[in-house]
Amino acid sequence: MQSGGITLKQAWKELVYGKKKYILIELLLVLLMFMVLFLSGLAEGLGRAVSSGIEDMDADYYLLDDSAEDLITVSSLNEDVPEKVKKQTTALTAPLDIQRMYLVKEGEAEKLNVTYFAIEPDSFIEPAVMDGVGLADSDVPDPIILDDDFLLEGIALGDTVYDSSSDIPFTVTGFAKDQMYGHVSIGFISTDTYAKIRKRLSPMYTKMYHAVAIKGDDIENIGIEGTEVISKEDIISSIPSYTAEHLTITMIVWVLIVISAVIIGIFHYILTLQKRKQFGIMKALGMSMGRLVFLVISEVAMLSVSASVISLVLAFGMAGALPETMPFYLETSNAVAVVTAFVLISIFSSILSILNISRIDPITAIGGGEE
Amino acid sequence: MSLLEIEKITKSYQDGTEKQQVLDEVSLKVDGGEVVAIVGPSGSGKSTLLSIAGMLLSPDRGIVRIGGTEESSLPKKEWAKERRERIGFVFQSHHLLPYLNSEEQLTLFQEKRKQKKVSALELLKELDVESCIRKYPANMSGGEKQRVAIARAFINDPDIILADEPTASLDAKRGRQAVEMIRNEAKKRGKAAVVVTHDERILDLIDKIYPLENGKLML
Repeated sequence: MQSGGITLKQAWKELVYGKKKYILIELLLVLLMFMVLFLSGLAEGLGRAVSSGIEDMDADYYLLDDSAEDLITVSSLNEDVPEKVKKQTTALTAPLDIQRMYLVKEGEAEKLNVTYFAIEPDSFIEPAVMDGVGLADSDVPDPIILDDDFLLEGIALGDTVYDSSSDIPFTVTGFAKDQMYGHVSIGFISTDTYAKIRKRLSPMYTKMYHAVAIKGDDIENIGIEGTEVISKEDIISSIPSYTAEHLTITMIVWVLIVISAVIIGIFHYILTLQKRKQFGIMKALGMSMGRLVFLVISEVAMLSVSASVISLVLAFGMAGALPETMPFYLETSNAVAVVTAFVLISIFSSILSILNISRIDPITAIGGGEE
Repeated sequence: MSLLEIEKITKSYQDGTEKQQVLDEVSLKVDGGEVVAIVGPSGSGKSTLLSIAGMLLSPDRGIVRIGGTEESSLPKKEWAKERRERIGFVFQSHHLLPYLNSEEQLTLFQEKRKQKKVSALELLKELDVESCIRKYPANMSGGEKQRVAIARAFINDPDIILADEPTASLDAKRGRQAVEMIRNEAKKRGKAAVVVTHDERILDLIDKIYPLENGKLML
């Protein structure tokens, strides 16, 4: 459009000229978008309380038994499966057991929920510790790495905690950030410690694994009778309650995005009604409908894009200031998707204004000027 | 050569059950550098005639030619472009955009390829509003605003200038000045100017006066 530049300038000048009015609208936009971003952060945070242990685990696929319905906790693999898998792929592999249990602090009776992730020390699925050392780097017999939420329970590095069913003591050697599975904080222990617990509970125990984590894409040749390889995404969406919760929360966020954007559309429509006279004059003077559409869209885009930027800064600024325990998790890509949708929907909702303008008859410029 | 030619224009409106004949085979020719006035009581069809000449309204019958082009046969979607390129409008009120300064009021509507031919600055100088070039309508007097609006009418080097009661919002002295300016520019640039007015004090500035009565032009 040859007149694109001058129309952009016109849009900008109009916004600047009406700054009192447009700053208020901008404020409203920022608040709406901030609300959406904040809620989406909380939603994601809640979602991660179900899945962060798997989401942050550095694996792309999981080998499960094929009757497990993608659920790691109900899968069971024979002791020799991890070795077999390792021979069939160039990708990294590591066995994994997931078991929901209780921990008891030394000298206390209260049981704390915990999900054990039993792994081979130093394997790629061991989380990075934010405090303390990894499983392989400690010289205690049964080390445990706990999710940082346990810090709030008053557990500190070097403390002894007991598995409530077997009374086996662990020494806390490290804390890892944000490790949750099914709303329960994770404790990482070694496969040997895990086997010890199982043996104490049932003397008939034979060693089994729940799953084998695979890092890499070389999965074509993995073929073990009675097992299947499942992607990380499928594993996550099969965690009990994950899909249902995620769907509900995602719905809430998107409904909010759409409502906010439509509010902006309505605001702009009211402004357009106030300016019908001006649009009539511009049409009488021969300004094309294309330029008027571009003018309206530029104004909406300028308002919503700048509001996006401001609310992103606010949301991320606040995310940094929130206490660690708040289930708030705002991923950049997610936040950008939210604001992009917001901008696009608000531009789309300005169609209402454009339709109205297209119906203005330029002849209104002639005569007394009263419509 | 006649820049504006109106041939046997007829227009009627449906008024309730009655059909009202507003224009009855009206014909009019205006040459370059000529300023004509159409006068008549309100409701005599002046505005309708101006709207038809200004490509804002289609006649029931008849032909409108601007600069030799038969405009009335063009499809409606090309009207905006025709108005932009061939017609300069001066309205009753200045109708400037509040958020633009005087220079921008002109350049906003200027076609790129007309930029060499007419300069906004030069027009504002000729209309004696050079001092308002960076001013916004809110900071200008009524006379200044109307003169900027007149300058805007000439920015695309149109064939014809159509002025709809250009003195209506001004006092006698400023109103007269405004018509003088339209006249001077039309003469200087060789445009055909049509002024619709009922202000008799300015008629001495007009070359030809056409009274419009009962849908017919008298001379």
